[in-house]
Amino acid sequence: MAENTIKIPEFKAEWKEGEAGRWGMVIDTDLCTGCQACVAACAMENNIPFVGETDAAYGRSMHWLRVERFWEGEYPEVRTTDFQPVLCQQCGAAPCEPVCPVFASVHSQAEQINLQVYNRCVGTRYCANNCPYQVRVFNWRDWERPEPLNNQLNPDVTVRRRGIMEKCTFCIQRIHKAEDQAKAEGREVADGEVIPACAQVCPADAIVFGRLDDPESRVSQLAKSKRGVQLLEELGTQPRVTYLKGA
Amino acid sequence: MLHKLLELSKQPLFRVGVLVLVLAVFSGLGYGLYTTQTTPPQPIQFPHSRHVALGIQCLYCHPGAWRQASAGLPSTQKCWGCHQQTPLTQTSVELQKLAAYAENGMSIPWVPVAMLPDFVHFNHRPHIAAGLNCENCHGEVGKMGIYENPQVLNMGWCLTCHRERTQDDPEKRIKLLDCGTCHY
Amino acid sequence: MTKKLSRREFIKLAGAGAAVTVLTGCGPAARYVRREPYALMPEYNYNGQSTYYATTCRECPAACGLVVRTMQGRAIKVEGNQRNPVNLGKTCARGQASLHGLYNPDRIRNPLKQAGRGSGNFSDLDWEAAIQVVSAALKENRPSEIAFLLGLAPDHLFDLVNDLTKAIGAPAPVRFGALSMFESRVTLSQAAQNLFGKAGLPYFDIGRADLVFSFGANFLETWLSPVAYTRGYSQMRKGQSTRRRGTLIQFEARMSQTGAVADEWIPVRPGTEGLVALALGRLVAEISGAPLPKAFAGVDVAAAAAESGIPEETLHRLAKQYADATNPLAIPGGAALAQSNGLKNAESILALNALAGNLGQPGGLFFSPAAPLPDESHPASLAEMSELIQKLESGQVKALFIHGVNPVFELPKALGFEKALKSVPLVISFATFPDETAMQADYVIPDHHGLESWGYQRALTGAGQPVLSGAQPVVAPYYDTRATADVLLAAAAQAGGKLAEALPFKDEVAYIQSRLLPLVTTPDGPYTAPEINTFLASFQQYGGWWQNGEALTTPVGAPLEKTLAPGVAEAHGKGEFFLLSFVSPVLGEAGANKPWLQEIPDPTTTVMWNSWLEIHPAAADELGLHDDDVVRVVSEAGSVELPVYRYPAIRPDTIAIPFGQGHSAYGRYAQGRGVNPLDLVYPALNEAGDLALAGMKVRLEKTGRKQTLARLESRMGVYGEDEH
Repeated sequence: MAENTIKIPEFKAEWKEGEAGRWGMVIDTDLCTGCQACVAACAMENNIPFVGETDAAYGRSMHWLRVERFWEGEYPEVRTTDFQPVLCQQCGAAPCEPVCPVFASVHSQAEQINLQVYNRCVGTRYCANNCPYQVRVFNWRDWERPEPLNNQLNPDVTVRRRGIMEKCTFCIQRIHKAEDQAKAEGREVADGEVIPACAQVCPADAIVFGRLDDPESRVSQLAKSKRGVQLLEELGTQPRVTYLKGA
Repeated sequence: MLHKLLELSKQPLFRVGVLVLVLAVFSGLGYGLYTTQTTPPQPIQFPHSRHVALGIQCLYCHPGAWRQASAGLPSTQKCWGCHQQTPLTQTSVELQKLAAYAENGMSIPWVPVAMLPDFVHFNHRPHIAAGLNCENCHGEVGKMGIYENPQVLNMGWCLTCHRERTQDDPEKRIKLLDCGTCHY
Repeated sequence: MTKKLSRREFIKLAGAGAAVTVLTGCGPAARYVRREPYALMPEYNYNGQSTYYATTCRECPAACGLVVRTMQGRAIKVEGNQRNPVNLGKTCARGQASLHGLYNPDRIRNPLKQAGRGSGNFSDLDWEAAIQVVSAALKENRPSEIAFLLGLAPDHLFDLVNDLTKAIGAPAPVRFGALSMFESRVTLSQAAQNLFGKAGLPYFDIGRADLVFSFGANFLETWLSPVAYTRGYSQMRKGQSTRRRGTLIQFEARMSQTGAVADEWIPVRPGTEGLVALALGRLVAEISGAPLPKAFAGVDVAAAAAESGIPEETLHRLAKQYADATNPLAIPGGAALAQSNGLKNAESILALNALAGNLGQPGGLFFSPAAPLPDESHPASLAEMSELIQKLESGQVKALFIHGVNPVFELPKALGFEKALKSVPLVISFATFPDETAMQADYVIPDHHGLESWGYQRALTGAGQPVLSGAQPVVAPYYDTRATADVLLAAAAQAGGKLAEALPFKDEVAYIQSRLLPLVTTPDGPYTAPEINTFLASFQQYGGWWQNGEALTTPVGAPLEKTLAPGVAEAHGKGEFFLLSFVSPVLGEAGANKPWLQEIPDPTTTVMWNSWLEIHPAAADELGLHDDDVVRVVSEAGSVELPVYRYPAIRPDTIAIPFGQGHSAYGRYAQGRGVNPLDLVYPALNEAGDLALAGMKVRLEKTGRKQTLARLESRMGVYGEDEH
């Protein structure tokens, strides 16, 4: 790279077929109980605003993480599918990235995840429309957060304003914190040291997070499981989240 | 309406009025712009130069810089720890304010000058660890009264340095030019 | 600038100035902030660095340990305490959202006096006057005329009040909580007493079981100790090298969140759970070829199948599964016990464990270990609550103190608590939030929020070892509140005499220290300390005290030799539907005032911010009901109106309404939202004195109105035309 030339990202994320990626997550749907603790933890960690009943009914709620379930069969043999927490899949080839006209939705080369750069975002919502997983949420308003609720805001995470798109960041603030800590101590980040809020809280231990490029990590081991599937795999988005289905 | 206005515009008093209005708007604009570029008054006219001249290290009052994101501001008690022993505290008018804060157990509402927007997450620690000294970014604080930024703290300024310092290390370069390193 | 400004010009100028400010993105006030560093930095704090404090979650009485991240004196994030054996570093959604309680905009900010109960006409009171009120109430009334009504948490306050009432000869404090009522804890404990000669909460070792029959126990939601049981469930599902993946079969009329993750959901007719258990027991015994135990001899399998609505072949298949399992386990819970025959149901289900021979075995049934400190409390059954209400009504009680519970909301309206309060001359509430009960009090003397409080809580069940979870303030009190224990100590000291003698403590912490004294010398703790001050430091640091090693006890007795005949529960009231009210898995009993809990979708329906009525689509079709149609539910005790949610996994003869909404007070996020199903409940009791709330019949009436429910699922046409 030549000095002082700004490299404009191409309209195609830089990924190679079969590339492992850096950070990844495995969610065991056989263990998930649908308890929503991850949803609450995510909201508390990431300063996610609440929108109230009316806007929630319009589908404007700001969950970065939702727990899906679908009905199957007819009474009395009716079932729900396994509860399935769905968050940003941090695709290696993310459909949200090439459609952003202002490069607010970009791929982090360093962390190999999808970034949403709030200060670039102008709110076109193209990214959300192009996301096959429906995990991007838009700030339709400056959501009210009456005092003193603002005391709870996490200073490590930006408070977003109206007109900004946002989504799961894999708790990048925790990644940075752990990396910084490790660097200060002159060592590598250990497996299990970076834990996003959802994985940390999960009472069923259904969510595991770690380095996909480390074949020894717990998440890599689990991702190799025969039960492992990726959501909408056929789209070729190279998701970094693997679901363990079945028993 | 238009007709009336035309007629009015012939009156000298009206012309003076319009002139006054235009002047008022522009001076207001200028003042507004000016105020955005000046820092509001600090609660105490703190002379950095004096403290540095006494040989006090930056990290004595801002110890966070070498181990965490925020350098931190000293607590009132920390200021008072030294100042209650110095004779100047009794005589200086400015220091009476400090005495009042300390005696009432109140915090001093400093106005941060080296300030970044909410969507930027700056961390002092790696910068110090990379061998930078405070004055590399903050200038000659020892010659300043109230601190002033020696340059505009914008992204171009950050990236210039990040580029220069990572010329020979492509891996580090990726990390230090990544959006996600500062924006999340 | 100008020589002379007319008034008009001046106004124009001012307007222009304002426009300029807006144009340039505001002046310095908006661009710059003020940073207020500590005046005096607390110990262990650094500027800009987080400090973590261990404490105990107060969102339910399970005694989960928390570690709260604080920064510059503000609580930022709640995490689980990895050391606490109950939750081992995990929490539930309610624990996570407890910060929305701490920083709730509608908290009570200082002591209040209400002119006219329910009027909301509050005036501020200073603390001296507030303590004077409490002191006078304690001193000027005869001990027998004083009553304390406490919640299931915190335990240290119960102990303190218990010491106080004992010393002055007042009736012991009554403890109540909606969770214990919905779970029929008294019934469960009584059933254990009847079968094994020992009252207490059984411990179900789900983690090591390979087949679990759960009869309405919603152990993944709010039941007893949900985080601990969720961990157990996870272990069961994971299996081990020596054990296959465990299977869960859920018997309940409406598929709960727990039922949704079960391998099989058996829609049993409400009130026949015991009968089903006996039939299964009989079949299991027959398969194993052993002589038929007396407990199961009296049941007719075909009749049980007919009564319960479960096909006989299903019973045979399940019995085979149970007989083949290595570590089968049967759990009686919730709706199965809240029936007129609830006690018999509980016994019958517990007997299945004895049949499997899993008493005291891995994956089986145990008794929870006794708490490290002696426990003199028990959750009040509804019979005891009725007794209290009668006492209130007859004017025997002159001063009523209420802390940590909201009986006006949490008791069935038909029980008449609110009405009975009218006969009590003085009602003092120690509520943190302006809940329904506080609105009916003469004085509200607010306690700190749980995260600002000292205390301890016994883990009644959930951990294999005796656990006392410790609480300490993680932040300084945000408002002008005061610990209720401190208020009582100050009031007692002021009253003098016997009262002062009963509580000779400087403050709450001194009292807690005195209670913890025996633990200093108890062996097998996680740390040792030579004396109490050092001990307390470790107690704070570790977030409590627990014994190393399991201390579960084995139930002994011959339950199989008992004659069990639960029969079919009697249903109260008239109507075509059984009414099932269940505790909202997300809101719990007191979560409605936390906005983020309101916005978390219900796990099975994905409804947010409101109440809904679950009805089977076929039954709904028969009545011509679509989603979001408002219906009136009419019972013997009252009626409520709420929108319909067509729920595919509920018996067609049953409707269900979640408990948690329907507040008439309790802050802006809770008030006037949804309905309280307890308004419908007729206060019939079971043999153990618990509320038979699942054995109710109701009828539905159409209102012709519609109310859109906010749902996460299917957003299409939410505000448009009917789309089904």
